[in-house]
Amino acid sequence: MAASAMAADAPARVAKVAAVELEVLLAQRPEIYLVLNPASRTLEVKVRGIALDRVPLAGIEMIVHAPLFGGKAPSPPPLPAIWRVVNGPGDTDREYIAPTELRPYNPDGYDDPQPGTPPRRPGASAPTATPLPEPPASYRAQLDNGFDLWVTTALPPQGFLPRASAAVRDGWQRLRGRGSHLPPAITLAMAREDAVRLHHLMRSNMAILVLAEP
Amino acid sequence: MVPALALVVVVVGTAAVLARFGHAYRAYPFAAGGGGAAGGDAQDLARRAARASAALARLQPRGTYLVVDTYRNRLHIFRDGELLRTAVCSTGTGIVLRDPRTGREWVFDTPLGERIIENKRRNPVWAKPDWAFIEEGMLPPTDPNERFDDVSLGKYGLYMGDGYIIHGTLFKSLLGRRVTHGCIRLGDEDLEFVYNSTPIGARVFLY
Repeated sequence: MAASAMAADAPARVAKVAAVELEVLLAQRPEIYLVLNPASRTLEVKVRGIALDRVPLAGIEMIVHAPLFGGKAPSPPPLPAIWRVVNGPGDTDREYIAPTELRPYNPDGYDDPQPGTPPRRPGASAPTATPLPEPPASYRAQLDNGFDLWVTTALPPQGFLPRASAAVRDGWQRLRGRGSHLPPAITLAMAREDAVRLHHLMRSNMAILVLAEP
Repeated sequence: MVPALALVVVVVGTAAVLARFGHAYRAYPFAAGGGGAAGGDAQDLARRAARASAALARLQPRGTYLVVDTYRNRLHIFRDGELLRTAVCSTGTGIVLRDPRTGREWVFDTPLGERIIENKRRNPVWAKPDWAFIEEGMLPPTDPNERFDDVSLGKYGLYMGDGYIIHGTLFKSLLGRRVTHGCIRLGDEDLEFVYNSTPIGARVFLY
């Protein structure tokens, strides 16, 4: 009985050891990496094996954008595995500033400061007096395994009516030549604040270690 | 009655046709696929597990290290795993500056990952790079002496390489916000504490 239980447990133990071995590979580098644990529904931000931050997930699902009827489930990726972000919003969603022309350097060319204000030096100014735009709470990062990683605050509703309604809207867009092909996505639902603060970490080559479920 | 019925038929028919061509999200449970892990006997597995765990433990930091949360703008200082202090800081905006003459770009990011405190200085002097002038709409000076600034960095500087410094600020009201060019700014008291507590060679983890 015990032997058969151990035998049944063997794949889970193999997967657990393999996951630690994969994490050693990542922790040998100075870059941060993410660890997605589907069983505990957590996403951790780690470096050198220490957890810097931990995000609880409201849900994890594989989501395909497919016709209302028919279509089949994509093959699940083998786990444990390291996925890498190929193209992430942390690279692309940036604000640009560019002066149109440059005047000759003049150390005395600044306005006289008001009494009590600190001296103003080039490069020492407050560069953004206005708040930076808040990152989005729903975004996709392209992964190297053919999937997208979709970070969002809520999983799309799966009832027939919401899906039929979405299909009608999408059909209308396709009729107007605005249809889009979305790859299958590993979708992580989480609190809005968590989604926003993970946005800047989704950069090219960011590694995500995905543990196998027990 | 008949026109209303006809309208319903037309609307439903149109919706059905659109739905036939449209796509919608379909969810499947996320479950592990097979084939990701190589097997082995129980003894071999135990050896592998011990070896991997030991390797991971060796990589973890000891002594004093800093952790910087670039989203919340907080710097934490740890010693042997114990949190000594949390400070409000300012980190990089993430904005990109483009030189109108050459098209050269600078990304004002605080770097992510691991850095090392390579050097520490009291009363640090900043040799301003080109971007500091271009951002102000000025050409960089031809006289190198015009680049030196002994005010902006405050009383202490902890150097992390590639021009990234943990230093003080003239703009204390902006602490807690992403306003820098990639350096980490601290208030006076926190900076003094970090400077006195963090040895050269200490690791800095930024995320």
